[in-house]
Amino acid sequence: MTVYLLAPAALRIAPDDFSARVRSRFASELRRAGRFAQLCLLGAQACLDAAGGDGPLGVLWATGGGALDATRAALDESLKLGEPAMPFTFIATQPHLAGALLAQRSHPVTRAACLSLAPDAWPSLPHLAQRWLADCERVLVGWVEESASGGAAHRSDWCLLQKKMMPGAVRCEQVRSPENAAAATAEDWIPRVAAWHGSTNAPLVLRGSGDAWRFTLNG
Amino acid sequence: MTGAFVRACALASALGPDLEAAVERLAGAPAVPARNTKTGGAWPYFAIPVAEGDWRRRAEAIARSVAEDLRRKAALAPAQWAALPCIVGSSSFSVGAWDEGGWAALEPSFDFSLRLAKAFGVSGPVTAVSTTCTSGFAALDIALGLIAQGEAREVLVLGVELRNRLTVAGFAGLQLLSATAARPCDRGRDGLVLGEALGAVLVSAVPAPWRIASLASGMDAASVTGPSPDGTATAKTMRAAMAGARWESAAVDLIKLQSGGGPLADLAEANAVRELFSPVPRSVSLKGALGHTLGASGPAELALLLASLARGRVPATWGFSKPDDALGFAPSGGNAQGVRRVLFNLSGFGGSVMSLALENAG
Repeated sequence: MTVYLLAPAALRIAPDDFSARVRSRFASELRRAGRFAQLCLLGAQACLDAAGGDGPLGVLWATGGGALDATRAALDESLKLGEPAMPFTFIATQPHLAGALLAQRSHPVTRAACLSLAPDAWPSLPHLAQRWLADCERVLVGWVEESASGGAAHRSDWCLLQKKMMPGAVRCEQVRSPENAAAATAEDWIPRVAAWHGSTNAPLVLRGSGDAWRFTLNG
Repeated sequence: MTGAFVRACALASALGPDLEAAVERLAGAPAVPARNTKTGGAWPYFAIPVAEGDWRRRAEAIARSVAEDLRRKAALAPAQWAALPCIVGSSSFSVGAWDEGGWAALEPSFDFSLRLAKAFGVSGPVTAVSTTCTSGFAALDIALGLIAQGEAREVLVLGVELRNRLTVAGFAGLQLLSATAARPCDRGRDGLVLGEALGAVLVSAVPAPWRIASLASGMDAASVTGPSPDGTATAKTMRAAMAGARWESAAVDLIKLQSGGGPLADLAEANAVRELFSPVPRSVSLKGALGHTLGASGPAELALLLASLARGRVPATWGFSKPDDALGFAPSGGNAQGVRRVLFNLSGFGGSVMSLALENAG
């Protein structure tokens, strides 16, 4: 099945600016949501704002480190003191929280999952999204990483995949025998699609461990 | 409809270090879990009866033991086994290592999943997935995709949840735990009892007695920590699973309930069941025997249920004794004759709901 990609965006937020960015987008810090969930939501919402449209969504994202801030808060601030972990820093809730928050705030979400992959296994994400598209109209696909050090920015990279072709959408096709494909990773494939998008009419072909995907400007 | 089958299952759980011991134990008298000091002394906990010790070494020992059992049952050629893709579902991964080793002992969920795959002796692509308590079935969903797209003939699906203080503290903070015992569907139920498990399911394109007829996913956004009271999202997901399997509701012989003894969550699921079924088919909950094993619960309960059915028994629901009129039905064990179609429910934090339709292909 051919799928179409909309609104690829690579959001970078300096740790010191994070709270202001959340307040600016959502009017206040999101109660009962740790930083990872808020970071997911900021990027996902920016992508949805740019893509427009509505309808049921799947939300599928990957991460390397996961919810670092919430884990630290739960382990170092609560558990060491012998207190119960606060419900919304509790690690088991964190990866999935963003999907539920998105569903509560803006778009109906039919399913959500948070994955961790080998760096070159990124084609698993469009593959899985393609399968989910049998059950829902659109799937948000992302890569979210909290900054592990003071100097690095938080990252929340997203794009929207859908079955329906529309003007400005990028046609995405799996390529079994890629020629001239550039190696990409789980961390950089969305930023590379975002950087390519609108810069040239030539297709972009990115490869991972098993196969490659060709991105072509539609029309 | 999927073209995938359950080729083999294995399990380490509080019922025993292997699946056969667990089925044997499940047929006996119910046991009350001990209060496990490793996870916080105030709460009962279903621990795997494997020697204590360094968290990581214990995890690897459990994995190797389950792997050995699964490998024997799967009867794959060594090269086929070694090439298996491995999908790992968990809500906590290796966070328990922090209990003993602090930050230095923690590792990313993907690294822990690679470690598990290595303990299983497989070197195909590894993926880790977390959708809280449905993680094991989210892993199964990815496996079904690999088989459907022709990427793999067999896929190893692991659901793993191993002892850690954080999970217990989190559920305690949410006031979801029982101080005494899990009583699924019982009038006196007052909360969950957590447990640890490693469930392994080898999913295959090669026909086997149990076919995965469909797996449906849904999202209940009413609250991030509990279901909508009317069970709407659960009912919708169960309906989708039956539609995917091309079943009418009358075709369902047995429902494996999510029910873990939570007063409101059990009621919400019962509302969903009653909306779809009249009369309600036989039902069973396994959380009174295994505990709520969170991200492991899909593969763990699937392994235990199929092994029990293979011995001709629908297991009794441990912890259940007094029916709750508000639920409108009660679980019942006994002879499994005629049980050919099973609907298998899971739900979790963040509103994740999944329902699996299983069909005995004979």
